[in-house]
Amino acid sequence: MLSRVADSLFWLSRYIERGDSIMRMLKTNYASSQDLSSGFTWKPVLTIFSDMEKKEIATMERKGRDVLIYMVTDRDNGNSVYNIVTRARENARSVQDNITIELWQCLNNYYHLVKDEALERKLKREDPVTILDSLIKQNMIYYGVLDSTMFRGEGFSFMNLGHFLERAQQSINLLDVKFSDLSYDLEKTADITYWKHLLMSISGYNLYLKTYRSGFDARNILHQIIFNMNFPRSVLYSLHHLEQNFEQLKPHVDADSYHQINFMIGKLRSKIQYSNLDHVSKVGLHNYLVGINEDLQAIGNALNQHYFAYS
Amino acid sequence: MTSAELFKQYEVAEGTWDEMKALDDFRGHYQRVLEYLSHVSGDELNKKEELAKSLFMSQGVTFTVYSHGEGIEKIFPFDIIPRIITASEWSLIESGIRQRLKALNLFLSDIYSEQFIVKDGVIPVELIYSCPHYIREMHGLKVPHNVYIHIAGIDLIRDHDGTFYVLEDNLRTPSGVSYMLENREITKRIFPDLIPQNGVRPVMQYANLLHRNLVSLSPRPVADPQVVLLTPGMYNSAYFEHATLARLMGIEMVEGTDLVVDNHKVYMKTTRGLEQVDVIYKRVDDNFLDPLVFNPESTLGVSGIMSAYRKGNVTLVNAIGNGVADDKAIYLFVPDMIRYYLNEEPILKNVPTYRMENPDEREYALKNMSKLVIKKTNESGGYGMLIGNSASEDDIALFSREIVANPRQYIAQPIINLSSAPCFINGKIQPRRIDLRPFALCGPHGIDIVPGGLTRVALREGSLVVNSSQGGGSKDTWVLSD
Repeated sequence: MLSRVADSLFWLSRYIERGDSIMRMLKTNYASSQDLSSGFTWKPVLTIFSDMEKKEIATMERKGRDVLIYMVTDRDNGNSVYNIVTRARENARSVQDNITIELWQCLNNYYHLVKDEALERKLKREDPVTILDSLIKQNMIYYGVLDSTMFRGEGFSFMNLGHFLERAQQSINLLDVKFSDLSYDLEKTADITYWKHLLMSISGYNLYLKTYRSGFDARNILHQIIFNMNFPRSVLYSLHHLEQNFEQLKPHVDADSYHQINFMIGKLRSKIQYSNLDHVSKVGLHNYLVGINEDLQAIGNALNQHYFAYS
Repeated sequence: MTSAELFKQYEVAEGTWDEMKALDDFRGHYQRVLEYLSHVSGDELNKKEELAKSLFMSQGVTFTVYSHGEGIEKIFPFDIIPRIITASEWSLIESGIRQRLKALNLFLSDIYSEQFIVKDGVIPVELIYSCPHYIREMHGLKVPHNVYIHIAGIDLIRDHDGTFYVLEDNLRTPSGVSYMLENREITKRIFPDLIPQNGVRPVMQYANLLHRNLVSLSPRPVADPQVVLLTPGMYNSAYFEHATLARLMGIEMVEGTDLVVDNHKVYMKTTRGLEQVDVIYKRVDDNFLDPLVFNPESTLGVSGIMSAYRKGNVTLVNAIGNGVADDKAIYLFVPDMIRYYLNEEPILKNVPTYRMENPDEREYALKNMSKLVIKKTNESGGYGMLIGNSASEDDIALFSREIVANPRQYIAQPIINLSSAPCFINGKIQPRRIDLRPFALCGPHGIDIVPGGLTRVALREGSLVVNSSQGGGSKDTWVLSD
């Protein structure tokens, strides 16, 4: 497979996953802003997903509709859903011959939807949940079309690498920001609604209720988002799939690079699998998360260096 | 209003051959379509037009215009009423193109080796050497199976009496074939059952025929040669076509930066390292192909690719240097080529053409500018062209001065009327001028011409210019099986 093509497939997939995270986050944050209007702030969302300075965040953090427009349709915000979908579609366009026509058309339709100028007006005046749902649905269609039409092989594996690498990073970032509010203190208790919205924003609420019967506490939340293998957005789950998909690449890439990167992924996966909350609290949650993030970035860099570098 | 009433109001311009209507009668080969449409209301036609547009949009059959940093997707205008060609008209077109391509291919092979046609005085030597597309690097080079023109688009028009003329040959990188394919798919959607009812011959085999030919051109005797399509990239207006063809053939679409030449071999950069490339279907103009040989500023090409080509380590499709055969001043001599190489009379006529280098013809042209079309010999796409009867005094004066200064760079032709065909425009069925570009594929086993082609339409009322850059659109083009 052409290096440029592998690169585009990898990023196409990362952008889609990133857009997905952003929209889920926006949706639940909007919902929670309707619950506790006085205390609610958009600061965590803007901290994770924008390049805004602290001062700019301070002026916008309590203006929900402005945040939604900034995060969804703003042309100048590089991380707006508009720009992310545009980049995903540009990547797809440049590798049209390496994805199925169904997948291309799905992304193309998504692009036309997000480009619609009426969207901004609707976000300002109408029910934002309806609009976010219509966009999130496009992501779901994308994953369905990907799974049911996309040919398996090298390209599919590179797409999945992008997908799970991005997902692991998003979950880490979320924890880092949400727990920074609590000064990374695992024993500190927070309001039930705080945890509930956190879980809902990554589609983890139902699983939590069924798994952790003792109620809401920081350790259980951390366990689900880092270690729970039944939770498709947990860091460990993502790492596991990253590893599996990388192994699929074995026949397609040269042996040296394969062993090197396979070692990196395996090491990180084991590091997480064979640690626990006691260990996390010993090294400090923030340090622990930063460490994982650095390892993920190193994996991304190695993929780039060995497979994508083409100019 | 019903479609039947819309068609009743259809009026053909005087002195014009209309594809559907002769004097007061509709031609036989349009009857089935007229019958079908008589049950469709004008409203429904509007809806079909909308459906066609939304299908083009959602399938990404678009080109992108960038303004203010934002891409705007544009559709190449499509007219929903198909253009119909009878079996007998097609058989004439097919044999005419076949004959013409045989001669043009022999011409290229000759002109880049012994040049008998020049030595025998059929074509003046100065015409060859003054052509900017005559590529000296091609001289003495053997190309696989002696095929230079693998893909050709031959533009045909019809005069007032219905006679077909060749307007120009496109032998470098003819484009538009994806629209031939897409227009057909759209017609299947907007007019269900109409195509089988009419016995329309299929066109979808085009990509498979092309792929078979490309594979057979590999210089390495391997079972599964690496065939790629070289595109200038996403910002090219024909990018959709490149992607479509690559997909339909299952070949890799590459950009210049994906390729590298080492030791006179072309490689592509893959996740596994470098992989040798055998055949390149290039959609980059010759002039941008190799900065070491052609335009040194080009970033679209690949340094050293010409050396690999000359060593016979890679096959380029079409061959380099074909521009000498579709130069508009050389065009004049194609009928002579047919006589010279094949000892046959041309089946398809050329449009009468005046050479501006010839003093008598130049004098005639300068006196009769308002009755002529003036064309630059090395331009295409409707650029560098003057249509005498609708040009301003200033433009005529400008072209006259230019002709006197650079006679080699201009030809003159009488204004051919172009046939008209029914189009659905602003809720009415109206005649518009059309041409026809069938696509021919030449391979080691002979010439295939897919029954159909791209019918381009001058959508502006009264306009004779069908090029997309000048407000043209296209139609699905049917060749009937009987």
